[in-house]
Formats: sequence, structure tokens, C-alpha cells
Amino acid sequence: MSDPTRHLPPKLQDAARIEVEHHLAELVDRLIHEGMDPAAARREAERRFGSPQRYRSALERTARRRMLRASLGTMFLDGFGGAVRTVRRSPAFAAAVILTLGLGIGANATMFGIVDRLLLRPPEHVRDHERVMRILVKRPSLRRGITRSATMTFPDYQDFRSQQTFHAVAGYNGPSQQTFGRGAGATRIQVMQATNTLFSLLGVAPTLGRFYGADEDRIGAPATAVLSTEFWRRSFGADPDVLGRVIEVAGDAYRIVGVAPAGFTGVDLAPVDVWLPLVTSQGMIAGTEWHDSRGYYWMKAVARLTDGVSTEAAASEATALHRAGRLGDRYSYPPDADIELDPLILARGPAAPPESRVARWLGGVSLIVLLIACANVANLLLASGARRRREVAVRLALGVTRGRLVAQMVVESVLLALAGGGVALLIAAAGGRLVRTVFLPGVAFRDGLGGRAVGFTLVIAGLAGFVAGLGPAIQGTRDALASDLTAGSRGSMRRSRARPLLTILQASLSVVLLVGAGLFVRSVARVRALDLGLDVDRLVFVGLEFEKALTFGWEPGLPPDPSAIQLRNDLYGEAMRRVQGAPGVLSVAATVAPFGWALGSSVTVPGMDSIPQLAGGGPYYQDVTSGYARTVGLHVLRGRDLTDADDAGSDPVALISETMARTLWPDADPVGRTFQAGSPSGSALNPPWTVVGVVEDAVRDGIGDEPFMAFYRPYAQRATRPLQGMYLRTEPGRAEEVAAAVAPILRSLDPRVRYATVRPLRQIIDPQARSWTLGATMFTIFGVLALIVAAVGLYSVLAFDVAQRTRELGIRTALGAAKGRLLGAILGEGFALAGFGVALGLVIAIAVAPYVRDLLFEVSPRDPVVLTSVAAVLVVTALLASSLPALRATRVDPVVALRAD
Amino acid sequence: VADTPLLVVQGTLELLVLKALSAIGQAHGFGILDFIRKVTDEQLLIEEGALYPALHRMEERGWLASYWGVSEKGRRAKYYALTRSGEKALAREVSRWTAYVDAVARIAPEVGR
Repeated sequence: MSDPTRHLPPKLQDAARIEVEHHLAELVDRLIHEGMDPAAARREAERRFGSPQRYRSALERTARRRMLRASLGTMFLDGFGGAVRTVRRSPAFAAAVILTLGLGIGANATMFGIVDRLLLRPPEHVRDHERVMRILVKRPSLRRGITRSATMTFPDYQDFRSQQTFHAVAGYNGPSQQTFGRGAGATRIQVMQATNTLFSLLGVAPTLGRFYGADEDRIGAPATAVLSTEFWRRSFGADPDVLGRVIEVAGDAYRIVGVAPAGFTGVDLAPVDVWLPLVTSQGMIAGTEWHDSRGYYWMKAVARLTDGVSTEAAASEATALHRAGRLGDRYSYPPDADIELDPLILARGPAAPPESRVARWLGGVSLIVLLIACANVANLLLASGARRRREVAVRLALGVTRGRLVAQMVVESVLLALAGGGVALLIAAAGGRLVRTVFLPGVAFRDGLGGRAVGFTLVIAGLAGFVAGLGPAIQGTRDALASDLTAGSRGSMRRSRARPLLTILQASLSVVLLVGAGLFVRSVARVRALDLGLDVDRLVFVGLEFEKALTFGWEPGLPPDPSAIQLRNDLYGEAMRRVQGAPGVLSVAATVAPFGWALGSSVTVPGMDSIPQLAGGGPYYQDVTSGYARTVGLHVLRGRDLTDADDAGSDPVALISETMARTLWPDADPVGRTFQAGSPSGSALNPPWTVVGVVEDAVRDGIGDEPFMAFYRPYAQRATRPLQGMYLRTEPGRAEEVAAAVAPILRSLDPRVRYATVRPLRQIIDPQARSWTLGATMFTIFGVLALIVAAVGLYSVLAFDVAQRTRELGIRTALGAAKGRLLGAILGEGFALAGFGVALGLVIAIAVAPYVRDLLFEVSPRDPVVLTSVAAVLVVTALLASSLPALRATRVDPVVALRAD
Repeated sequence: VADTPLLVVQGTLELLVLKALSAIGQAHGFGILDFIRKVTDEQLLIEEGALYPALHRMEERGWLASYWGVSEKGRRAKYYALTRSGEKALAREVSRWTAYVDAVARIAPEVGR
């Protein structure tokens, strides 16, 4: 049988009919040939065939099923085959596609793990989290309009316990660092104090043993503790016999009654080692004053709403209860304080921490990076599509439908993108770990990528492949004319308008990202350059933790116990002597209020009715040992420093801060003036202090302190408060080394010292700049990534263009066009594309800028330095990316070019 | 040689089609039946309409490939050919059939090979 000419298949619904008709027709022919008359032949044929109707419907059913399967299957197989062919035929092209998408998707996969933890998922083990609300107090404030605070007093918390619209309410405090064990083997652990109601409110079940109950969470109850699974594994080797054992936390003994499930961190995300009953443990740590005091702000609270109750109804009942509870101190407390109920997922509420807001931006930014990557891949695919035009035209002529070709090409790019997704997972695994440990150490992440991240990555990869592939596939199969079949590669290839547009888009998005990077980098630089009034890089902070007998005497509200204070100060004195001569240590000084502390004092000045209130509160005081200013690097701007001669026997003297000088004596020299601190009386405790010097402002609580007044007095003249910490001034660059060397000395100083915190001050301050460093680092990485991808895109457009125009360029060279002209033409094209991109990008950046204002530090979101330098970077990059194709254009050999096909 | 044609035993049709296609390469349904008719001297009676569900079933299993073409008489027809897995299926069917005949032959040696 001869090979018949191939034909397009008929439509699915006709195929079976046509096939049967063909059979009958052939049969009739034969019967007629055998001598039957046509009518009889037809009857006989139908009889022999059997019921055509019956067969036809059976045939159609199988046909439809098969076609569906076949079209999906072949589409995938063709796509897969195409992908494999692409990898084989042009590995560089495939690698470019896979890598570009891998980087773009990798950026997203990395950010997804973080955004997912901060923004999308509730803390682990919380049942029905939408009904759990954080309780915040909104108070009108003279200085800042409205302040929103989650911190409250214990009686405030008690008020909510009778609330009808709350199904349950729970209080907690922490996690705070506490000493675990004692002596040289002591370590610091993260301790969370929580009411017994927290566990049932959240709906969590213990892994081992039980949680403490209501009768174990009251003052004087036998002390119990619950371990986290992580701490149980780390410190007890996951020993199931741990129940009933007694551990020492912050100097007190607690009996272990249970182990919380893995990953459980309560309502916040910070890792917890040990859970202690809030009331019981606070009674042991801090006495009982907090229990009834509405002036002792220390804890936070959450509530689960009663079923069917709206957040608004619950908030209004809570507000009523709060105001009623505060009736007693209506003179000191704003009567119109409101209760706000915020979502459990902190990042979704108005009190979102800066890290999570930065993370949200970075999530968006990573999408832009992916968009740029997609644009680049689309660009590459368009270029390869132009090269494959002939192949496409042939296949269309052979009867392959256009839809099928498009589908196959899209499947091919989706498969390449999925390979990119594999690369992305590797990037996310490494990048995610880095970002978590460096920028978000206070958040408990689960190990590894997790199914959600992998799923997200693959979905994003598929989408990216689809988005990048669809346009070029449609473009590549459009207008495939017969001329493409005959024209050969020298034929009239139309120049795509899509590719320059994609390049402009890439350039503009890179500009936006780089502007973002620049703004954050400037913020970090500003933060770093802040004059904190302390030589942060050269100081080591030392804080001693004493045994119980030495801590209770000075608790707020309790009368100071002079003998306990004396003992503590003696131990500080001993510590100072021990480290004084240590290698790398230049000087040592101690204070009653180190970094992070605030000791306020009322100040009266002769001749002034009252002193102005500043936004940062205060005035704050520090009583310091001799040489303090020199040790911490506090510059004396006027007058003199405190000296050893300023002792108990001499006149009371003080240093005041620049702000205090400016506020109290704006027009006069403050040196020699006097003021009184505390109650305005002439008693021995409150002598008038004479100002002997003015020092620069120093940081008190961290970056972004509002202005406040501060003064410094010689400890020798007023030893009524215990010393709380000391600073070691080290030789430049030796802070970490000194800290490591003196820590063991200080920790084994004396049995009455339970623990010594020894940390370079830089380590204490840096976390405060974390949101800016996070933004700066990630924006820079993403921005540079985008820039590289865009540069490659620009390069490929120009290089492709030059290759396409080889003949034209050859002719122009042959006709005597100057090389410089050709060079200029190609470079000009590159600059034009980059220029449009820069202009568009700057417009977008300027439009978006106001939204990031809050995230920056003392940098205008339209900072001209950033905008101009980014534009310059783009122009230089465009020059570099264009120069290679431009040089190639000038080297076109006219003879070769004209012969080439 | 019997006087009346034999009805094709259930399950044999596929073997016949595979064998026919392996012999002639490619053919439309009528061509396949025509070949079987000629080779068997019209001794096998195949209900012609039953051929097509069988063809489509085999195509669905991947034993046959098909395409549309125009026959010698200028009619539009669907052509079938064996695929690689069709060739394997043929070998399997043949050995199954041989085993069957062998088994029958043990009881009735006169069936013989």
C-alpha cells in the first residue's frame, strides 16, 4: 500500500463518522465491483458493518477521552522535549534562563520564609488565632498626641478578668534573660513569665507532664516551671525523667512539671527556654509591691473573645473596665484612656515592629526582582524566538496548530523555570538562614525550608515561567509568513518593539530598587555616625547580678537598705580593681544608671517657677565614679570634669548635659549656677548642686531618643543608690577580646555574684539599628541583582541587534561609514534605553518614596544624593553593557558580513 | 476447510489487526480487514463495525499510531501503523495464542501445530 499524503485531522466530533463512512464507501465499491447494483450494495454493506450508530457512539467516547489525554500529554512531552533540546542545543541560553529565574525566585523564596513567619502565620500552636487579641492601652499624651502601649500594671490586668466579652484573659512578661544555675557553671536563659491561663487560652497541650494550674500561680505558691522542648533537648538531653526535678532560675528554685511542645513561643515569636507562673515567680523575683500598684508597668496581656462577640464590643467593654479601675488615680492618669484590641499577628496591627514592616517591603521588592528576571527571560526568549522563526514556520506549514505550538513553548519555559525553582530553593535555604540569624535573631524560626516555602517556590516558578514564556511564544508564532521559509537567516527580520520596552522596564525597576538600597544605606550611615556621647566601639559594659539578699533592699518602694547597698558597691569596687590592669583595658568607671536605665529627678532652679518638660522625659541623673566622662568618651564642652577631689568632704558639684544647659540657661553661662534635685529643700540629701561643667548629650535608651536633660554627680558625694553597671574603656578594636578575657574573672568574683553580664557596648546597641541594616543589606542585594540582570538584558538586546544587522553594518562599513559613527550609533541606542529607564525609574521612586519615610533614619525619601548617584550608576552600567556590542559592530568585516547567511 | 466462515474468537481480533499491520506497514480500517480477508481466504468472519472500537482501543493503549490521509480512491481516511509498543504487544499476543493452542493440543492432539 502506497504512502498516502498526510492530511490535517478532521474535527474531533466528525472523525468517527468520517472513518465509518470511508469504510462503508470502500465496501460498497467492492460489492458493486463484484456485480451488485448500487442500492443493494449499500444495504449489504450496512448489514455487514453492523449498527453504525452503536459503533459510532462508542468510538466517539474513546476518541474524546483519548484526545484530551493526548493533547495534555503531548503538550507536556513536546514541552519537555523542547526544554531538553534547548538545554542541549544552547546550554548557555538555558543556563541564563535558569540562573536568572533562579535568582529572582530565590529572592522571593528567601523572603517568603520570613514574611510567612512574621506576617502570614500566627505563632505556633495557637488555636483559632483570629479570636485572640492583644490588649493595648491608648493614652493621650501631651508630647506625642497618642501613645499606644501594651505594657500595663497587674491591677490593670486584673480589671479585665471580670470582662464578659472576653472568654479568657492571660498575662505575660518576657522573655527576659535570667541566670540559670549559679556560680561558674551559670548560664543565661530566656524566661517567660505567664499566667496559668495563657496555655488554655491559646489552646496548647504539653508534650510531657502538664502546665501549671491556677493554684500554682499565686503569691507564695510552690514554685513550678515548664520547659520548652528546645531547652529540654538542649540542656536535659530530652530526658523524660526531668519532671519533678528542681532548677534554679534567677536565684530561686522551681520544680519542673511539664514540657511545652516544640516551637511554642506563646503569643510572641521570640524563643523561650523556661515558662514560669507569672504571679508566683514575680513574687519571688520582685517582692509584692507590683501586685497592687498601678504605677508598676511591667506586663502585657492577651484575651480570647467570647464566641459571637465583635472586637469593637469587646474593646468598648474593656475601655469601660479600664477607666473604672483607674478612677482612683484620676489626677495622675488620663481619664480618656482607651483600650485597643490588636491582632495576634503583631505585624498586621498598628503596633507592627519595624523589622516586620521592612520585611513586608522586602517581600514586595523581591517580587520586583522576579519581575525583572521574568522580563529578562522574556527578552531572551524573544531573541531565541526570532532565531527559531524558520522552524516555527515549517511546523505551522506542516499542520501543527498555532495554539499547540504556543502551548508547547510555554510548557518549555515553565519547565526551565521549574529548574530555576530548584536553584531558588538552594538560595533560599542558605539565604534564609543568614537573614534569620543576622537580622531576626529574636524570632524562633523552624529549621529548614518547610513545605509551605517549597510549595510557594514551585508555584512562583511555574507562574514566572508562564508569564515570561507566554508573550514570546505568541510573538514567535505570529505572522509566520511563507517568506520566513524561503528568506533564510538573512531575511527581513522585523525588529521587535517588545524587547526595548522590556529593557526600559528592567532599568527603571532597577533604579527603584537601588534608590531604596541607597536610602537604607544612608540611614545606616546616619545611625552609625550618630554621636551617641559614648564611644560605643571602645566600651565593654559590665553588669553584676547579686544574690537575693543583696537585691531586695533597693526594690522600688522599699526603703533602701544601706548595708546591702554598701555590700553591692564593695563588690563593684572589687570588680573594678580586678579588671583595672587587664590587658587592653585603659580605664574603668561605674554608674547608678548605665545604658538603658532611666533615673528621673525633679529639678528646681532658683528664680524659675518650673522647668520645661522635654519630649524625652527626665531630667535624668547618673551618679558616677571618678573618671566616668573620660572613660565613656563624654566630651566636656565647657568648664571642667569631675575629679577625685569632688568627694564627700567638698562642695556638691555636677556636670549637666548640653540640652539641660540650653534649656535652663539659654542665654547665660551655666557654669557656677546651682540647681536642686528631688524635693526642693535644703536638707543634707538635697543640697544645691553647683554646675562645674557642660558635657555633650549622650544616648540613654538607644537610637532615636527624644531630647532630654541629664546631669551627672560624683558618686562619692551621694552614695544613696546602688551602682548598676560599669564600663571598661578598651584600646581601639579590642572590645570583644577584652570582654571575652574579663568575663570569667568577673563571673567567679565572689559567691554573692550570681552572674556577670559582660558585653561590648556595640553588641548592645546594634540590634537597635537592625531594621535599617536589614533594609540596607537586602535592598542592596536585591538592587545589585536587579542591576546585573538589567545590564545583561541591555547587553543581550544590543548584541542581538548587532548580530541581526551584521549585513547592514557590513554594507555601511563598505560604503565607508566611519567606525566612530557606528560605535556612536550602538552606544547611543544603549544610552537611550537606559535613559528612558532611569527617567521612568526616578519618577516611580519619587512617587513611592513617601511610603518608606517611617522606615528611614534621618534621611529624606527623596534624598538627592541617592537619586543622582543611582542615576550615575545606571548610566555607567549602560555604558559598560553597550560597549561590547558597539565594539563588535565596528569590527564587522564587510566581506564576511555580505557572504554570511 | 469449513464451508461456513468462522466467527472470530473473542480477543483474537487484536492479534489479527496487529499481525496485519506488522505485515503491511500502514493501512486504514478497510485495508486491514481486506488484508485479513485475503490472507485467510475469507475463512474468518469479522463483524466489520467491531473493528473500529478495537482499533481505537489499541491506539489509546499506544499500540497503534494514526494519522489522516487520502486513500488511493481519493477518499479521506484514517491510517494506522504499529508503534514500538504495538510490536511488543504483537509478540505478547502471539505467545499467548501459542500457549493457548498448545494447551488445547494436549487434550486434542489432532489440533496440532
